[in-house]
Amino acid sequence: MNRLSALLRNLRNSRVWTSIFRSGYPDNDEKRSLVMVNSLFLHLHPVKVKKNTLRATYTFGLGIIAFFLFLVLVVTGAWLMFFYVPSVERAYTDIQALETAVTFGMLMRNMHRWAAHLMVLTVFLHLCRVFFTGGYKHPREFNWVLGVVLWVVTLLLSFTGYLLPWDQLSYWAITVGTNMIGSAPFIGDPVRLLLLGAKEVGEEALIRFYTLHIIILPLVMTILISVHFWRVRKDGGLSSPEEGAAAVEREGSKNA
Amino acid sequence: MPETQHEVFPKDPRKTYGLMELVKGTSPMVDKGPEDTVTSWPRLLILEVLLMLGTTVLLLVWSYLMNAPLRELANPDVTENPAKAPWYFLNLQELLLHMHPALAGVIIPTVMVILLMAIPYIDRDRRDIGVWFASKKGKTLAMWAGVYAFVLVVALVLFDEFVRVRSLVSNPWWMPGVVVPVGIILVLSVLLYLIIRRWRPNTREVLVGFFTAFVVTYIVLILFGTLFRGLGMRLIWPWNMPPGGLSF
Repeated sequence: MNRLSALLRNLRNSRVWTSIFRSGYPDNDEKRSLVMVNSLFLHLHPVKVKKNTLRATYTFGLGIIAFFLFLVLVVTGAWLMFFYVPSVERAYTDIQALETAVTFGMLMRNMHRWAAHLMVLTVFLHLCRVFFTGGYKHPREFNWVLGVVLWVVTLLLSFTGYLLPWDQLSYWAITVGTNMIGSAPFIGDPVRLLLLGAKEVGEEALIRFYTLHIIILPLVMTILISVHFWRVRKDGGLSSPEEGAAAVEREGSKNA
Repeated sequence: MPETQHEVFPKDPRKTYGLMELVKGTSPMVDKGPEDTVTSWPRLLILEVLLMLGTTVLLLVWSYLMNAPLRELANPDVTENPAKAPWYFLNLQELLLHMHPALAGVIIPTVMVILLMAIPYIDRDRRDIGVWFASKKGKTLAMWAGVYAFVLVVALVLFDEFVRVRSLVSNPWWMPGVVVPVGIILVLSVLLYLIIRRWRPNTREVLVGFFTAFVVTYIVLILFGTLFRGLGMRLIWPWNMPPGGLSF
């Protein structure tokens, strides 16, 4: 036991270890600050957060869950791409092979599918949470607008992925969906044609939906999420009742 | 100070300071001191890790118990019946049954998204930031706006299914397709506003009412489309759903 802890101590003092983890285990406030500032991934967080914003019944963690689901979808989605060719001849049989012949294929496909549904749900609940707690107010107006756009992009991502298995469910769902778009006055038909690349859902639509699903929309999503998080920080963290109380003090009581 | 009056805060002659008065309100330091914040390490990070672990476990269990659907190979010659959009668009598809497709599929959703984006520019009062439903009044109002939307949406869907607007007015096409649905939406919105006004709400509370009505409508229409629409998109009970009637 002693030799083990000596070994660990030596490891933590080694040049390699200290070159990666600069500030040591964060057991005091200075190191707790340094650990956040010195890490690319952690520095999205402030060093200190308002206690009020940690209450489970305030945020329900919905934003974090939605973001995490997005990460799960990126990882499982990239994995699914190894086994999938977006052509009318191969798409369906590739999914069948994925389910029966690929190790963990069924599990990964299930996770991608259910995480997508869950993300649609979570993003909407997050939007409701922010509305009902007044989180959209100054200075967060534009971040709310971005949030609404993120919700729409989430729906589009899910919708474009829906076609890829190329079964009856996806084929007719996309037919119904794109017919709805096509009914828009003036721009409906051109937009539908742009999306499908043809009059009907077919090979052209499959490759367009695939490209939108795996690169264009995820890229848009990633950029928007970055701006969304950045602005949360720049606007002083999550909204909290303290801001409301401070505003009451400045502007008079609520019933005035 | 007269001798008879009770001294609440006796002065201690050994001290150079004393409590003078208690006043209502907060001092400039309240909520600005370090005691109101905690370090993100570990308090925030632990919560984030727990949420991620919880989500992972949920996904794994769900994926273990239930397989993603895969039906027969896509066949343009065999129409699915019912042919449904993904579940999160079934509210729009439900609207499609009751009005002109351009209205249901494009114009109403676009207007709704724009209205949602406009919310922070309409309500600029910062005094109720962080308070669920803005106030007690807001909570009451949200509840009644929800009940209002629920009852009316269900009633309208049933009315159009069993009485049919088109059997009452069918000519010209834009009467049942555009004028009647838009008219109903406008009249019911104004009516909702008139009802809400009884509580003498501020702007935020009015928005709470309308947003709740929107969310309830959104969800009720999804539920109709998902669980209560069978062959030919006719209303049925969920337990009579034909195989393949669920769109997820």
